[in-house]
Formats: sequence, structure tokens, C-alpha cells
Amino acid sequence: MNKELEHNFVTELQDNQNIVHKVCTLYTNDKESHNDLFQEITIQLWKAYPKFRGESKFSTWMYRVALNTAITLYRKSKRRIDTQDYESIIFKIKADEYDETEEQQLKLMYKAVRQLGDIDKALVFMYLEDKNYTEIAETLGITEVNARVKMNRIKTKLKTILNP
Amino acid sequence: MTDELDLLKRDWQKKEVNLPKLSYSDIHKMIWKKSSSIVKWILIISILEFTLPHLLYLLPSMQDGMEVYKKLGISNYLLIVSIITYSAAIYFIVQFYKRFREISVPDNSKSLMNKIIRTRRTVKHYVIFSLSMIMLTVIVMVIGVFFSHDIADAFPDLRQGLQNISEEKLRFTLMASIGGFGVVLTLFMGCVYFLLYGLLLRKLNKNYRELRQLEI
Repeated sequence: MNKELEHNFVTELQDNQNIVHKVCTLYTNDKESHNDLFQEITIQLWKAYPKFRGESKFSTWMYRVALNTAITLYRKSKRRIDTQDYESIIFKIKADEYDETEEQQLKLMYKAVRQLGDIDKALVFMYLEDKNYTEIAETLGITEVNARVKMNRIKTKLKTILNP
Repeated sequence: MTDELDLLKRDWQKKEVNLPKLSYSDIHKMIWKKSSSIVKWILIISILEFTLPHLLYLLPSMQDGMEVYKKLGISNYLLIVSIITYSAAIYFIVQFYKRFREISVPDNSKSLMNKIIRTRRTVKHYVIFSLSMIMLTVIVMVIGVFFSHDIADAFPDLRQGLQNISEEKLRFTLMASIGGFGVVLTLFMGCVYFLLYGLLLRKLNKNYRELRQLEI
């Protein structure tokens, strides 16, 4: 029984690992921290897995656990501010796909998002993942109205970071 | 800004191809690794905070102290203090265990943070209670010394060295040193506690405040 649970869990996580990687990408700045956070999220997912009854989709449940681990449970916060190497690996921008101004703009946007606080990042993350405000509100435990208000504030904040 | 965020969204979704791909065995290995989450640290530190004050009583020098209390005529008061301390400790441990069990990672973020803070608050109340009890014990001792008829008899070790000191002087020196020791010990333990508490929950408290501020 335990072996089966283990197998199901690892298979499902392997299929959905992108979600966790993306959370790690936003919340950490170098490869080592990325792996560290990935591991902590995996442990938290595994610990909570026996209670996962499938009321929601596995991926929805994963969003919650992964974000909660990043903004609440994760302890190591010694983050290096600037790590160009790492960014170029994760956000490899293919020259032929983008024109130069757009590429530059994206780079600045990613940099700005990384400067946001933990909660703001969580909202931006869910927005980028195309989640609606109902889901964002449920995940964070706030009302839908507040989620919208917060998102508008973040947009203003990003604008200030980009055009100081 | 919406346009730029939408541009970012399109790009973000294309980026999936560049993300690392872990194999089945990579992930399988990870599930048996030890967690270093805040919840685990809270459990470890809380257990230490529950047990440390009681371990003090196991030290031989503390057991010798019982003799002194008897001679000072305050052992009955201290017995009552001990009974209260232990009953309260059991109450706090049960509360802590209940709260700790409630912590659930798939909960929504605000409620998860709230539960962690509440769990920690139970320990905080226990620490404040313990420190008050230490202070109370010290006060009982100081009063005991004040009303004791023969202090030199209660502290036989002091008798030889302090023969030429007057009874009154000895009484006040003892009261001052016991009182001073009590205050220093309480302050020290209080500082250690609040430092640990602050460091451990700094990030969580900040994020929780941010979520709550939205409601105002």
C-alpha cells in the first residue's frame, strides 16, 4: 500500500514538476537555492499527500502547497541578489524569436518581478499561470475583491520599479 | 502595464521548455530527505522550551537547594508553586500539541500562517508563565530570608567564611544577591526566547501582516 502511494505520488509530481520549478524560479536566485526549495516543497507535498483526497485537481493542490512552502515554511532566506548565470539558464531568450526591444523589456520585467515581496510574487505567479481571481483569492485566503485590489497595486509597483 | 504583464505572461508560458526535468529516481530520493521547514524548527525549539526549565531541577546543586528551603521554612510555598508549574506545563503542552496538529500545508496561506502564529503564541504564553514562576520563587526566597531566624544555619557553607559579618548585613547581602540573580536569569531567558521567536518567524510575520493589511 505504501509502495503504491509512493509510486503514485512520484509519478504525479514528475508529471507536474514544472509548477514547482516555476515557483522556485521566482523565489530563488541561484541554482543551489532552487534545488533546495524544490526539495523542501517535495517533502511538504509528500507529507501532505496521504490526506489528499482528490477533491481538487492534483495540480491545484500543488499550487497551494508549493506557494505556502515558499512564502511561509521555507527558512533559508540568504539569497544572493544578482546572479546573471542562473537567469540566463532559466530564462534563456532565443534571439531569433524576439526582437531586441521586446527582449530587453522582458528582461527588465523579470528583474522587476523578482524585486517584489513574497506575497506580491505569489499573486504575479498565479496571474502568469493564468489563474482567475477566485482561485488566487482561495489560495491566499483573501477575498476576490482584495485580490484584485492587490493586483492593481502590484501593477503600479512594477511601473514604479521600471520607470523610477 | 497590463500590456507588459500580458507580454510577460505569454513569455512565461513559453519558458516551460527551459525548465529543469527531474527523473523519477531524483524525485523519489527527495521524499525521504529531512525537512528544514519552519514548522519543524518550531516543534524542536518548543520542546526545548518546555523541557529546559524542568531539567534545571535535576541538577544536583538544585536538589541541595531543597534543604535550604526547608530551613528557611518556605518549602511548603515552593511545593505549591511546583504543583502549579507542573499542572500549567501539562495544560500548555496539550494545547500546543492540539494547535500543532492543526497546521496543514494545503490550507490557504493566511489560515496556515495564522495557525503557525497561534501555535507559537501558546509557547510564548508558557514562557511568560515560566518566567513569572521563576520570579515568584525568587520573591518567596527573598521573603523567606527576610523572616528567617537563623540565616547562617540555613546556609551552612557560608557560616565559616562569614563569621565576622553581622547577621543583618548577611541577611541583606543574601536578599540582594538572590533577588539580583532572579532578575538576571529572568531577563536572560526572556531575551533568548524573544530573539529565537523573532528570528524564526520574521519572514512569516511580515507576510502575514501584508495579507491582513488588505482587509483594512
